[in-house]
Amino acid sequence: MFHQTLIKSIALIILVAVGIAYTLTTGYFGKELVIEAATLAMVAISLDLIAGFGGMISLCHGAIFGVGAYTYAALTVLYGIDPIAAFAVAIVASGVFGFAVGAVTSRTHGIFFIMATLAFGQMAYVTAFESRTLGGDDGLAGVPRLDFSALGIDFNDSTQFALFAIALAVLVYVIAAFVLRSGFGRTLVGIHVNEARMRAVGLTVWSYKAAAFGISGALAGLGGAIAAQQTMFVSPELMVWMVSGTVLMVVIFGGLGTLVGPAIGAVVWVFLKHEISSATPYWHIVAGAVLILTIVAGGRGLYGQIEHMIETRRAKTPKAPSAPSAAPIGQESETHA
Amino acid sequence: MVSDWTFWAAQTLNGLQLSMLLFLLSVGLTVIFGLLHFVNLAHGALYALGAYVGISAAAATGSYWAGFAAAPVVVALTGILLYLGLMKRMRRAGPMNQVLVTLGLIFVFVDVFRLLWGDLAIGTSEPTLFTGRTEAFGIVYPTYRLFIIALGAIVMAALALVLSRTQLGAMIRAGVDNDEMAACLGVNVERIFFIVFCVGCALAGLAGAVAAPVFSAHPDMGTEILISTLIVVVVGGMGSLRGAIAGSFLVGFAQTFGAVLVPEIASLLIYILLAGILVFRPTGLFPARA
Amino acid sequence: MLEARGLNKAFGSLTVTKDVSFALQKGERRVVLGPNGAGKTTLFNLLAGELKPSSGAVIMNGEDITALSVAARARRGMARSYQKNNLFGSLTIGENLALAVATATGAAGWLARDTLADPAIREAVRDAAGKVGLTEVLGARVDAVSYGMRRQLEVGIALSTRPSVLLMDEPTSGVGPGMIQAFHALLHTLPRDLTVLIIEHDMDLAFDVADRITVLNYGEVVFEGTPEETRASDLVREIYLGEWDAHA
Repeated sequence: MFHQTLIKSIALIILVAVGIAYTLTTGYFGKELVIEAATLAMVAISLDLIAGFGGMISLCHGAIFGVGAYTYAALTVLYGIDPIAAFAVAIVASGVFGFAVGAVTSRTHGIFFIMATLAFGQMAYVTAFESRTLGGDDGLAGVPRLDFSALGIDFNDSTQFALFAIALAVLVYVIAAFVLRSGFGRTLVGIHVNEARMRAVGLTVWSYKAAAFGISGALAGLGGAIAAQQTMFVSPELMVWMVSGTVLMVVIFGGLGTLVGPAIGAVVWVFLKHEISSATPYWHIVAGAVLILTIVAGGRGLYGQIEHMIETRRAKTPKAPSAPSAAPIGQESETHA
Repeated sequence: MVSDWTFWAAQTLNGLQLSMLLFLLSVGLTVIFGLLHFVNLAHGALYALGAYVGISAAAATGSYWAGFAAAPVVVALTGILLYLGLMKRMRRAGPMNQVLVTLGLIFVFVDVFRLLWGDLAIGTSEPTLFTGRTEAFGIVYPTYRLFIIALGAIVMAALALVLSRTQLGAMIRAGVDNDEMAACLGVNVERIFFIVFCVGCALAGLAGAVAAPVFSAHPDMGTEILISTLIVVVVGGMGSLRGAIAGSFLVGFAQTFGAVLVPEIASLLIYILLAGILVFRPTGLFPARA
Repeated sequence: MLEARGLNKAFGSLTVTKDVSFALQKGERRVVLGPNGAGKTTLFNLLAGELKPSSGAVIMNGEDITALSVAARARRGMARSYQKNNLFGSLTIGENLALAVATATGAAGWLARDTLADPAIREAVRDAAGKVGLTEVLGARVDAVSYGMRRQLEVGIALSTRPSVLLMDEPTSGVGPGMIQAFHALLHTLPRDLTVLIIEHDMDLAFDVADRITVLNYGEVVFEGTPEETRASDLVREIYLGEWDAHA
């Protein structure tokens, strides 16, 4: 069950503080990296919500991210809709897409589930690639950023947009944490641990899975809409299934089922990729090797491993017994199901 | 819309050709899953490797057939290396970890292809034996594609024969059904796994070499065909030859005829097919284990 | 109350359940006995909704529930416990019970509040835990407690949904002699208005707890009666030849 533990809060605060400090001190390119890391963190957190806690390992989150990006871009560029309204619609559209995928795949499990999500993500990619309205493989350019000039904020300034992206990433985390800490979130974990028993106590499992996928999709789409604004351009390349693969890799790399881990993983990933790509054109070999090593080393990921070690050390120190009525019915430390 | 039957006959042949390629790829993937409980997403990369090796061998020796022979061997050897080095320890690791590890392998392979053969697509020519067109019953069709269809049919028949008429086949089917029990009965399950894995990889390599003159080789070709292959396996049902055959034909014909009959939604057809199967028959049409 | 009407189940050419009919009154404790292979598990799964019958009907509280799914039956007041523990293994005992309570009370979808922290739910959890003697270990992880406790939790989860009909599949399976007494006691403390059907092997339990006993053999009902009638029946004795004399 999810608990917003002290470790998580500290890790998150450090991450955000470093992010802000870096944004304020680095040049243009550094800020672009921050925005990229923030949007990747948003998708990664959204994926961890259903993969780490719900057990639904989705390989279509890159596509949902793309749906968010494309919806925002199409509405603003093709139909001249107000960016804020377009932003809201993009989030809803991604949520609906996520809900639909979750509903159709609710009876599938294991490898079938993964493959099914992969295929549906491809469906979105193919639709964008072949759609002349959406620009085909040329995509759509001229995507405007949100206009908060009424508040005196100019998002065309990289620093302000970067800080905005960080703020949104924190918001995504908070929403995900909120959902996981609610009755719904507990039910989601229950479905992951023993779906049959949840059915046996009366739960309509498919609707919960679909709803979780929908919430996750909405958050991923939020990230996508920001990514569209960063480059001010969208293309089907956003939805290629390797992108979904990358999101999953980042979640594992940071720590599946920790919620903070994926955010940390995203940041490290973006900066690592930047460093390695400047040295060699063969970044994918490194990426693949890193993933394989993470799995072979136990699969907990960077943050996940640290959190695990801290918690096992804490579990070993004896605590004074508490009164029965105050006894917790859940564990305080994070044990991801 | 052409209404004379030669057009439809040609389309049927196109469908058959695509189905055969999909079959060569999916049969390995599905039986490896059925037997080893291992999901190998890098199977597509092995196909690409087969294409590249086929092209290089043909270029080096001037003969297509050198590539045809070399590709399955090299790919099978690569498969063995991967199996011993990595996959063996991931066998009981569960679908997610297997997906992740093989996903990592895909990433590595893609850049290895770029490193060794460059970013651009490279083509090769058909063997002189099968160049040109064949004419029969009023239909004109590229001979090489007829060769692909024939090759696929031969492999299909050979596999069906081995699985249903030989001792090895019986052991494989037993292993797919219940590997622990089969082992108790004295079947050397590890050795069977190994044989099946090698054959599966070899078939993928063969498919690549055979497809090279038609599709040419580029670093992403493995990932492109992987999705179709996965849909074949999910639709057909995991672990069975019958499933691989049924799935390959369904997907192959859906893609071919879809492009002709309903071009607007042609690309989406296989996903609609997948969605239908997932909702109504989640384990596929002919799974090895009901 | 629970009723089976002419239940038949065939798997291909093998008929596992043959024209099984019986009716439980409200609050009745019915034990279904039968040797191995008698079709008890299949019957259980037909009643629980895991299997659909080839023909026949299941009636619960006056409603024909034959076409309903497992979850739908649960929402109408049916609960079941499993012969092999089917728990939320990586969660705590309290969380196990809370999931069942929340689902049954409609709190499963709460987005604003945490069901684990909600006072009403915590109260219901303590209540259910109390019924099965697990109040002291609510914070312990399921995979860290004894098998006996897990068996108790198995029943506890079923009771957490405040069912009107409880189906129990060999509840004392694998439980040591010390715990069996505790189970007998537990069964006696179940609410009197709860209708209980138990599949069992253990004849001591059957005679101790049952109001009526139904005996299955080769998929058919061969006998139904009170414990005394069952004890006196020659047919039943024949079926359980050998085991019988120890319990005479």
